Amino acid sequence: MRFAKILERILATFPIMFGVALIVFLFMRFTPGDPVDLMMGEAGNVSQEEVQALRDQFNLDEPVYIQIKDYFQNLLQGDLGESFKKRRPVLDLIAETLPATIELAIAASIFAIIVGIPIGVYSAVRQKKLVDRLSMGASFLGISMPPFWLGIVLIFIFSVKLGWTPVKGRLDFGIEIQRITGLYVLDSLLTNNWAGLKSALKHLILPSITLGSAMAAIVARVTRSSMLEALSMDYVSFARAKGLVEWKVILIHTLRNALIPTVTVIGLEIGVLLGGNMIVETVFSWPGLGRLAVDGIFNRDYPLVQGVVMFYAFTFVMANLIVDIIYTYLNPKLRI
Amino acid sequence: MKNFKVGLILFLGLVFLTLLTGCGKSEKANTNSSSSQESTAQSQSKEKIVSSKDYNENATVIVGIKGGLLSLDPANYRDRVTESVLRNIFDGLVTRNAKGEVQPLVAESWENPSPTEWIFNIRKGVKFHDGTPLTADDVKFTFDRIITEGGLGGETSPRKGLLGPLKEVQKIDDYRVKFILEEPWPILLKMLPHQQIVPKAYIERVGDKAFAEKPIGAGPFKLVEAKLDERIVLERFDDYYGGSPEMEPVGPAKIKTLVFDVIPEVTTRISALKRGEIQRVHALSPTLVTQLKNDPNIEVKMVDGTRVFMLEMNTKKPPFDNVKVRQAMNYAIDMDTIVEKVLEGYATRLAGPLLANGFGTNPDLKPYPYDPEKAKQLLAEAGYPNGFQLVIDTDQNNREVAEAAAASLRKVGIDANTRVWDFGVLKPLLLNGERQMVMTDWGNSTQDPFDLLNPTIKTNGRGNYSLYSNPRVDELLSKADVELDVEKRKQLYYEAQQIIYEDAPWVFGYQLKEIEAGVKDLQGWEPSADGMLYMPDAYMVK
Repeated sequence: MRFAKILERILATFPIMFGVALIVFLFMRFTPGDPVDLMMGEAGNVSQEEVQALRDQFNLDEPVYIQIKDYFQNLLQGDLGESFKKRRPVLDLIAETLPATIELAIAASIFAIIVGIPIGVYSAVRQKKLVDRLSMGASFLGISMPPFWLGIVLIFIFSVKLGWTPVKGRLDFGIEIQRITGLYVLDSLLTNNWAGLKSALKHLILPSITLGSAMAAIVARVTRSSMLEALSMDYVSFARAKGLVEWKVILIHTLRNALIPTVTVIGLEIGVLLGGNMIVETVFSWPGLGRLAVDGIFNRDYPLVQGVVMFYAFTFVMANLIVDIIYTYLNPKLRI
Repeated sequence: MKNFKVGLILFLGLVFLTLLTGCGKSEKANTNSSSSQESTAQSQSKEKIVSSKDYNENATVIVGIKGGLLSLDPANYRDRVTESVLRNIFDGLVTRNAKGEVQPLVAESWENPSPTEWIFNIRKGVKFHDGTPLTADDVKFTFDRIITEGGLGGETSPRKGLLGPLKEVQKIDDYRVKFILEEPWPILLKMLPHQQIVPKAYIERVGDKAFAEKPIGAGPFKLVEAKLDERIVLERFDDYYGGSPEMEPVGPAKIKTLVFDVIPEVTTRISALKRGEIQRVHALSPTLVTQLKNDPNIEVKMVDGTRVFMLEMNTKKPPFDNVKVRQAMNYAIDMDTIVEKVLEGYATRLAGPLLANGFGTNPDLKPYPYDPEKAKQLLAEAGYPNGFQLVIDTDQNNREVAEAAAASLRKVGIDANTRVWDFGVLKPLLLNGERQMVMTDWGNSTQDPFDLLNPTIKTNGRGNYSLYSNPRVDELLSKADVELDVEKRKQLYYEAQQIIYEDAPWVFGYQLKEIEAGVKDLQGWEPSADGMLYMPDAYMVK
């Protein structure tokens, strides 16, 4: 029964994706700015023939409904088209940048979880004490700090002043990692490449803190409030009355139930992170999906932006689906 | 399920807002990069040629560049950053020195037997990275590929427009080619550094696509590997013929490995330089110079750039359809103070529409003085004694200057504000005459008026945001387009500038310096006026 429900949910993603594709297509077309014009630069002549040839090549002079029809026909065959400016298949560009984004998203999520959950639990236990006030204040900061600013500040302190961490990119020059998954940490572990592992981890520290700090703050707040709710439940009083040690009460009885909303938030946040964070990737020269998207937007590279947003929507839908599935396992009372 | 739907809607809403408003910071390089410029930043200092004892022959030098490359095929892009890197892999017939003067490279000399014919004599002993000699066949092939419709495996080269009226290239013998033009084109030589010679035999063997993945050229460095949006690794080509004998030093490159790392954010670029992760950076803004100058391990270098900055006024609509109002703007905006304070002095004030150090700049023009009283008087004469409402449009790169200009204008009673746009959105509005005034710039890498006035001043030019249209100026420019006599050509431009100066379709602005920085241990490099990152002579001190 449960499996059928899941399948139903998976099938329901198709119309959503279709809708997203249509909306993105239309919005890109109605955004002012001409892709061909933006490609031409300032030097030399630009002849009408040259412009026309490009417009024909990109299919820009067809009526919009024909363009949409062509786009969807290709889409159904799994073809996202070719980037105008980079003149390469969009799918290849996404495949090349995706591992970097996934790796950063995972690292940022791990940071958010190992920082957010303990803070949330501890704040709930010490409700209204100084610790609670401090950590909730800090989490407020974490949510409201612009990542651009935080990234620059971290670079300034830890890279320039202290010299501990690298400023940019994913690896030091001269370090080779055999590419298996494209996730450098994983690949270097698989090939016992310790130098590669060290370099990859060092490069991950600052961007993942920058990207994960807002999520850590959200996780801490959600964990705290759900813990408070759970702590007021009868079974907690009962467990305490049984004479269980306090930490067992907190960590085993309460936290397990309190984690459900936290998992939801984590799932949704990971969905967002997988879309690639344009700002963090730009600040740390992280060659991921976000940077690709920014580039595409400014150049009105229609196929590229459409492809990236489609992918973005897809991960978001998938993240939701997975959250729902995990739910049912965490809480047997729930059925999808 | 419900929270997810709300989330999705919110999220998509955000994405589209981003798309629509074009938020964030677009580098002008992306929106309308001057398609390319060349010049070989040769070390100008007349230092004696360093002996190999003084430098590290196995050095690796990493350069931080602001954007990714579009292609490794020198015929298949139109973008300045791409060219600045490819120049290290490929040599052209000619190049430019740091001052912007054309110098021989693969061509050792040339003659111009008739107004529409040029003969180039090709240097013997030039080799491609695979060891094959470079001959007239390769030169002819290179240019045919660009000027032929569909010459790039079915597509037409985006660089065709950079060759103007070039009709045909004929091989005379193995080391001589003849260029035949549709009409006289005085700036052929100035445009040629934009084109790099590619190997005929190799491309015919592997095809255009494979060539773009593993290109070989005849330049000082050969390609090792490239991820276009991330990192490009080059290695010294030991059999390099040495480059232009007119530009010392001659010989193979002095660094073993040359790497270009893409670092879009300027703050990150300088942080990486300070930490020693990279050795050279380009595209720095004036505001960053001071903090870099205080670092004992870093050298900041600059040279006059090739971009003209100006405020263009819509001459087709009131109030700017009145020449007195346009002149008043020139008197009212305190450009000297803008250069001094906003740009920290790293710019040169321009009297008219042309670069201060370019060809054909009229030496008699003096910048409009700052004179708010005169501005008010002119405004009153034009029927605007109480000023008017004005929005100065601009993009993120020119925001501070636009704001300073608006502040100047408010002092003479004009209710001026600024609005920041994504240039891609703004451009069609400007060309349709829907806006009032725009603070912008135009690249002029050839330092020749042809490439600046034709698009921005000629009637219906593709960058003519002031919608200026003056039959006499058009006539002068068209004559200059085909005038081969240098003196006569200068006079034509002098007259055109005089008219433009008085008509004042723009508030004439300034040219910025190209600001770059490198670690102290890296020597033998200079920034070039047009931003090329050509490094055959750079070396790392031991």
